[in-house]
Amino acid sequence: MSVTEELKNIKADKVVDARGTACPGPLLAVKQAIADVPPGGIMEILSSDEGTKRDVPRWANKKGYDYLGDYEESGYFVMYLKK
Amino acid sequence: MTIALFSGSVDKLTAAGVILGGAAAEDMEVEIFVLLQAAFAFKKENAMVNDRVAEITDKKDDFLASLQRLNTPHWTQAFKNAKEMTNVKIHICGFAGKVWHGEKLDDFIDLADNICGIGEYIASAEEANINLFI
Repeated sequence: MSVTEELKNIKADKVVDARGTACPGPLLAVKQAIADVPPGGIMEILSSDEGTKRDVPRWANKKGYDYLGDYEESGYFVMYLKK
Repeated sequence: MTIALFSGSVDKLTAAGVILGGAAAEDMEVEIFVLLQAAFAFKKENAMVNDRVAEITDKKDDFLASLQRLNTPHWTQAFKNAKEMTNVKIHICGFAGKVWHGEKLDDFIDLADNICGIGEYIASAEEANINLFI
């Protein structure tokens, strides 16, 4: 199974749809929503902002969360992090 | 982080709002000192109607249209969002306020926390790891 297929099989505890907002909107949406994710839970983030694909892994690493990966859909990215 | 916010133009204020958003994501403490032209933008009667830009002024209409197209919050909203997410204090320079006929805190938008002297900025900048002039 490819990494993308593995990611697509993940069942997220929280989905943050930040498509249509520009930087730093998606990152702030992630920061606000992380409180709703239980420890060990998974957040799925949808963003059409290219820079967010770099910001979220860096932010997750700094906060001590695991960035699980991302894949591209038509016009947006799907990212996963584990709290 | 300290920011010496001098500019009263929406292009630079919007950039300051983006930086504040990044700082909020990192839970950074931010002290903003509103100097001269920025104090004009912080006046209650100016904040929402001031649409001056400092650079690439011949493309102002394109710039403002792009901000709307990208759903970019007005700089006042970006500042408000950051204040709700992390510790951001906004100080209006007393001299700057007087230049624009703002004598008291109530003359400025609610984002402003107090009116201060330059000594407070210098003391904060001395302690900050990051100091920006915008």
